[in-house]
Amino acid sequence: MKLTIDRDRCEGYGLCAEAAPHLMHLDDQGELVLDQVEVPDSSAVNAEEAVRVCPVAALKAR
Amino acid sequence: MTLTARTPHSDVDLFSDETLHDPYPTYRRLRDQGGAVVLDTLGAWALPRYHSVRHALGDWETFSASGVALNDTVAPMLVGTVLATDPPAHGALRSVLSDRLGPRAVRPLEQDIATRADALVDGLLEKGSFDAVTDLATEFPFSVVFDLIGLPDEARPHMLRWADATFTVLGPMNTRAAQGLASLGEMFEWLATLGPEDLKEGSMGRAIFQAADDGRIRHESCIPLLSAYAAAGLDTTINTIANAVHLFATHPDQWDLVRADPGLVPSALNEVLRYESPVQVFGRRTTRAAETEDGITIEAGAQVLVLYGSGNRDERHYPEPDRFDVTRNPSDHLSFGYGTHACAGQALARIEAQSIIRALAKRARRIHIGRPTRHLNNTVRGLATLPVIGFEV
Ligand code: HEM
Repeated sequence: MKLTIDRDRCEGYGLCAEAAPHLMHLDDQGELVLDQVEVPDSSAVNAEEAVRVCPVAALKAR
Repeated sequence: MTLTARTPHSDVDLFSDETLHDPYPTYRRLRDQGGAVVLDTLGAWALPRYHSVRHALGDWETFSASGVALNDTVAPMLVGTVLATDPPAHGALRSVLSDRLGPRAVRPLEQDIATRADALVDGLLEKGSFDAVTDLATEFPFSVVFDLIGLPDEARPHMLRWADATFTVLGPMNTRAAQGLASLGEMFEWLATLGPEDLKEGSMGRAIFQAADDGRIRHESCIPLLSAYAAAGLDTTINTIANAVHLFATHPDQWDLVRADPGLVPSALNEVLRYESPVQVFGRRTTRAAETEDGITIEAGAQVLVLYGSGNRDERHYPEPDRFDVTRNPSDHLSFGYGTHACAGQALARIEAQSIIRALAKRARRIHIGRPTRHLNNTVRGLATLPVIGFEV
């Protein structure tokens, strides 16, 4: 599974980072940073949760 | 449409006084009929299930925001507002708002808002009894949002009535909507007289005019954007805070959990929002045929009602949806919408409501209330009065 951020949509709510703190975080400027773009199967559930709680549909998993 | 196509119908009036008082049994019947149901009284489709609501909100190309109002009188008045504009034009309007309203912009306000919440709640505790709608839920967003937008004080006495009208006129053209039109006209007439110099220096409102001067948006967009702030930022937050007080007063076991673990406050607020969605319904219009997950076809050009408040109570998505449970943390609730038009003020709304919940949790072991009265509006759900008759500290 691969994560992508639509930068035009992401406004930095950070709900994804709360759902999957080991996959992504907000930096000091409040910009989302993906710590793992290729998500191992063991974290697929967390990645899907992060995608689900994104309010503006900016985070996608494929 | 094929002969086997299934088209559920309902003759329910979602906007009657009776339904507005308690829409949840009606919502459940609609959900049981399918992901989309034709409302015969309106000649429009209702989306009552979590999945169908979320899907429609996520697909702006099929479900156009040009249909956000449910009547043809108000729809033309909304042309050019952020709420009724589809991408790509939506992006420029939205970015002007989110520059100042987005989480990055409002996080630094958190401490100040919390301090204000503490002071307000302290004052009310001293009084002992008060009305939670007027003295707390209305007072607070007014003191926070009004100043942030930078609106001149002359609007204060009218703003609540105008905000209420802005939401009720988005419904079908019933008596409530017809009566709201006069107030809406008043609001737009007043807004149209405003220039940049009328909005406080450095405010969010002033930034809108600056964006026009910088060529990011057209000058004609300024007033519609200002109206989005003024109306959207008040009524919804007021209802959220009043609903929170009501739910915590009537569910003391849940209140005990929040008081024991303040880390639960974000989850508890999500549950307040899920349980009583401040915005119950907005519209969309289909640009092409759409099929729901359960195989129901909505034709092109149809008026659609997106039932946020019903999706939040969908038993297919939330187990025991009618139970108020602060540990549930339903962070995927629909009360802020989803996708393109997801609430641009949600970071600020969360800070405001969480500050009030924290301020109360620190001080009040029990909140005792009298009988609340409901305020009826076509699209938002909230209370008119909520007497708080005492606290245990
Ligand atoms: C708890 C409080 C709030 C709730 C429940 C709420 C709810 C909503 C909902 C459901 C939408 C989506 C509309 C759609 O799907 O078409 C929305 C949009 C919007 N909200 Fe809020 N809102 C709240 C607070 C605020 C605040 C405090 C502000 C600003 C100060 C605000 C500004 C906006 C704006 C500008 C939009 C339009 C966004 C767009 O079309 O891109 N809201 N809100």
